[in-house]
Amino acid sequence: MKIFRSLSVAALLVATITATAFAAPKSIKVATDATWPPMEMVDANKQIVGYDIDFLNAVAKEAGVTVEFKNTAWDGIFAGLDSGQYDAIISSVTITDERKAKYDFTDAYTSIGQILVVPKTDKATKTIADLKGKKIGSQIGTTGTMEVKKVAGVESKTYDEVGLAFEDMAAGRISGVVCDEPVAAHFALQKKEYKDKFKIVGKSFTKEGYGIVVKKGNKDLVALLNKGIKAVKTKKLDTKIHDKWVK
Amino acid sequence: MNEINQPHTPIAVGDGAAIPHKSDAGLFTAWRIAFFGSIILCLFLAFGRPDQYMAIFKFIPDGIVITFKVTLGAIMLAIVFGLIAGLGRISSNRLINGTASLYVEVIRGIPLLVQLFYIYYALGRFVKIPDMFSAIIAMAFCYGAYMAEIFRAGIQSIPKGQMEAALSLGMSRQQAMRQVILPQAFKVVLPPIGNGFIALLKDSSLVSILAVSDLLRRGREYASETFNYFETYTVIALIYLIMTLFFSKLISIMEERLNDGR
Repeated sequence: MKIFRSLSVAALLVATITATAFAAPKSIKVATDATWPPMEMVDANKQIVGYDIDFLNAVAKEAGVTVEFKNTAWDGIFAGLDSGQYDAIISSVTITDERKAKYDFTDAYTSIGQILVVPKTDKATKTIADLKGKKIGSQIGTTGTMEVKKVAGVESKTYDEVGLAFEDMAAGRISGVVCDEPVAAHFALQKKEYKDKFKIVGKSFTKEGYGIVVKKGNKDLVALLNKGIKAVKTKKLDTKIHDKWVK
Repeated sequence: MNEINQPHTPIAVGDGAAIPHKSDAGLFTAWRIAFFGSIILCLFLAFGRPDQYMAIFKFIPDGIVITFKVTLGAIMLAIVFGLIAGLGRISSNRLINGTASLYVEVIRGIPLLVQLFYIYYALGRFVKIPDMFSAIIAMAFCYGAYMAEIFRAGIQSIPKGQMEAALSLGMSRQQAMRQVILPQAFKVVLPPIGNGFIALLKDSSLVSILAVSDLLRRGREYASETFNYFETYTVIALIYLIMTLFFSKLISIMEERLNDGR
């Protein structure tokens, strides 16, 4: 008898877990790699802040859920979603076909592009292709890396964090960094140490949309978040958040 | 081999893969199973499941070369640093002794990961060191301190009478050290140095944080674009295992040869 009882308890447990996993949850755990200013970063008070954080909090409010953020290193952030350590990722994730094949995305909530940053002393470079035979840095596994790898003859160097790539360029070890436009602006135009050293080259050369990532098949959560995103956009809350973080 | 197991030789064996020895039958078969097992598993994955694994095997070979370069460069430099610092540690000159001891204490007290960041990024502000080279220097600096302790213990394990006998034969101290003590000490320190080499091979994976494209970094790059984390890290782990097992065997053969020549 005992074994039947524990079996039924186990069955009940499994049912509850699956129910909480896929039914509309009250609180969701969301991973972000807070090394991508101004989209997501850790402030002086060790709080995770940024555009994405404010945006998702607004979305959650509209959708009637609460969000708990978890700071996670970028190159394992998708693996953590696979293993169920959190329900979603909001971390400036560009919606690409490769990623869509493995994960589900919400509708795009903002659009950006990749841009090249070089030292101020470099007067000749206009595009990535002008840096043939040289090293260009980017954060590992980002769309920036993919763009660098597309250009033949350029050596791609990947970093755990984009800040380390900028630091390496300041030390003169690489000739350029490719990253998302707002991030480039943060490092090259606003950061005190780099303002006089770096410049942005031309305009962004890709068109990308950021989406919130969830595990494949988690349709309820996608629907819930999309509802929230729509409400935030109708109320024009996103422009307010944009003006607060992106200059 | 038996001699160095005696209690008066104070050499701590590090965390490298266990070096197999003929007399140690259990380990020997464990080595065989692990080594040939992982090779067979690699071949099976590459050719039995080509669509998932072949691309990984094609993506990482240049990373293996970099891992070798970093490890070999670092171990050679570390032996040089270690020998100098080890001799310094037993020197009667207080300045030399103090400097060598300070080096060993400071370096051994700082985690390798922190040292790597420090030498790469902090020193990068003042001096321009190419990426691979700074990785090698950082590894060698750290392991040099451990090697120094191995050399010191090795030299001190040679009975004092040997030095006294050499001096009474009219040799100078340096001559006695070079021709009598060090050749004997070398046999004693070879196994711990071998273990250090294998530990260094494994720790070389830390240089992947410096954007040095070693085996682990190549794996991470592949995984972060394809999201095949399980498959990629299976292959990376197998390749590291094959490398460390191969070298531990090589070191045990070297050790046997040296002991035969006694």
